[in-house]
Amino acid sequence: MFHTKTKLGGLLALTMLFASACGNANGTVDGTAAAAGGTDVGEKVKITFYSYNLAIASQKEGTQQLIDEFEAAHPQIDIDPIAVASTEINTKVQADIAAGASPDVAQLVFDGLDYAVHNYNAKALEDVVPAEELSKTFEGFSPNGLELGRLNGKTYGLPFTFSTPVLFYNAKLFADAGLDPNAPPTTWAEVKEAALQIAGKTEAEGVHIGGSAGNDWIVQALIGSNGGEVLSDDRASIRFGEPEAVEAIRMWQDMVLSGAHDKLNDGEVIQAFSEGKLGMLLYTSALQSAFIQASQAGGWELKAAAMPSFGDKPTTPVNSGSALFILSGDEAKQKAAWEFLKFVTSERGYTIITSKIGYLPLRPAIVDDPNYLKDWVEANPLVKPNLEQLTRLRPWISYPGPNWLQIETTLLEAVQQSIQGTGDVAAIMQEAQSRAQSLMP
Amino acid sequence: MRDASLRESRAGAAGKHALLIGLSFLAIFPFYWALNTSFKSPGEIYSPSLFPAHWTFDNYVQAWQAIPMARMLTNSLTVAVGQTVTQLLTSVLAAYAFTRWEFRGRHALYALISLTWLVPFQVIMIPNYVVISDWGLRNSLLGLIIPNVASAFAVLQLYQTFRSFPKALVEAAQLDGASSWGILWRVIFPNLRASIASIGVLLFISSWNDYFWPLLVTNKPEYSTLQIGLQSFMSTEANQWGPLMAATTIASLPILLIYLLLQRQIIDSFVKGGLR
Repeated sequence: MFHTKTKLGGLLALTMLFASACGNANGTVDGTAAAAGGTDVGEKVKITFYSYNLAIASQKEGTQQLIDEFEAAHPQIDIDPIAVASTEINTKVQADIAAGASPDVAQLVFDGLDYAVHNYNAKALEDVVPAEELSKTFEGFSPNGLELGRLNGKTYGLPFTFSTPVLFYNAKLFADAGLDPNAPPTTWAEVKEAALQIAGKTEAEGVHIGGSAGNDWIVQALIGSNGGEVLSDDRASIRFGEPEAVEAIRMWQDMVLSGAHDKLNDGEVIQAFSEGKLGMLLYTSALQSAFIQASQAGGWELKAAAMPSFGDKPTTPVNSGSALFILSGDEAKQKAAWEFLKFVTSERGYTIITSKIGYLPLRPAIVDDPNYLKDWVEANPLVKPNLEQLTRLRPWISYPGPNWLQIETTLLEAVQQSIQGTGDVAAIMQEAQSRAQSLMP
Repeated sequence: MRDASLRESRAGAAGKHALLIGLSFLAIFPFYWALNTSFKSPGEIYSPSLFPAHWTFDNYVQAWQAIPMARMLTNSLTVAVGQTVTQLLTSVLAAYAFTRWEFRGRHALYALISLTWLVPFQVIMIPNYVVISDWGLRNSLLGLIIPNVASAFAVLQLYQTFRSFPKALVEAAQLDGASSWGILWRVIFPNLRASIASIGVLLFISSWNDYFWPLLVTNKPEYSTLQIGLQSFMSTEANQWGPLMAATTIASLPILLIYLLLQRQIIDSFVKGGLR
């Protein structure tokens, strides 16, 4: 009896291993294998494309449409799409580079720009594309938008899917609190006043500023809008402990201490706003479609306004999102990758990106063109404040060196410590600045 | 006097039952909430109602269409069972060797295995990945299983279990002419089956929940496990709660089924393992 059981156990284990081996499709899937030995002109080229939009179920269809339309227009180029969550994409790219199987094109979040340039051997477009073709392709691009993927004067990342911070607000709560839903606050002082009025006259919370956890792009936008910066222009000194930055975070702390700002975290606040329990929310414009759905189901009206300012200082919205990087060292693949990059950032590409995936068009003119986004923007007017902010857009600064993520985390932790307590913001931010400086290369 | 002690014991029993009911509620409620949310329409997802006002199967349809669910479930099961069986096999052999024989370097070897348990996965993942990649095992279930065929945790646990096994029984079997192999499988294994099974359950759960290694090794959903599939309903900007809860419910069903079928054995193994 025992022998039979042992044999059965062994057989099961062997079956499992055999089944696993049968599941191996590596030989046919590894896109880089197709590159071995170079590719002649006219030969079919296959490029691997790592994308986090593909890893998000709600954005997969639009991203796949981009790929399908590109392949239909370029029968000689095959895209091998690989979905990786945005939080893991850097790890995956690093591991694949170490294993000698680097992706040909990768969609990377802007805060890792510096690291990608220095560690992933990302190619500058100026080095792989003839200057004339490059400048022709860039015609019609938002000049501020193009800056997003530039480092040391060269374009390493072609901006792909990105959004800006907008102030979503609940028009019903505005009306209930005696505020004019058609005149949203434009400065932080007005936001505080309106938020206190909503918190006082309704059962809802007043305002929430998102972005104190995760990534620091909204924090950078706030600091920049008060005249501060997180990194010096020569990229050598951390500057988020300077007075302008401290004052911006102090405004945030004051908002919380006064009761104008709720005490929820960013995850909870999306739920609260969706349920109509929060008046205003400064967060990524990418949440728009989810909020439209929630407002329709909940019987309240969603409106959006531009990011509020510090008095009469101009705001400096910072983008979230990603750029496309060419990582392949093979010339034929670089050419194919460039064709792909050109298509996805073309008028047609951005029409799909904006209408199907929910990000901003880097070619602003297409919003007035009936061939592209005109009808869509008229049907979705909420996107307008987001579009208007493009003229003031500032790139999301990536910190230099291998500790870039720790520096970003240090800033976010200091912001959280400031807004979750009553501590001295100047002391907290200066201490964080000096810690972050020691992490610089 | 007797009445008083009876009342006391009844009150004690009622208290214990109340505590157990409370703990059961804590265990069951998250699953109930996932189930409840999975049948709600998008507008209702954030409503705290205990039942959906408008029942819908849309989330299940959406989840099933968004990821290759059946394939990912099969992959998860294959990897979890394959990994658990091989880990148990290697750790039983290792624990037996460590407890049965005095050999040179035994303590050093045991210390080395113990130390590997302390090495975080992040430290070894890239070297492991490079090896798996060199062997051409990317995008394969074998690539997921092979680096995990031995578990330091299981070796350490089983070492303690094997150490407590009465030596007299082993010596008696030896006198009866049993071979070392026979002693392990005919004498020790049947007696320690409950403890080994309880470690097996832990290994299975740990393998089932593994996220990072499948993420590195596999590029396509059809070669990956369900944990990677669930991630696709989550993003830094917003989670798709409806389909996520539907997918989570489907993902829980095989485990629930296994539990219902093996309920007695699983509880026995935990009780025996806990009392030992």
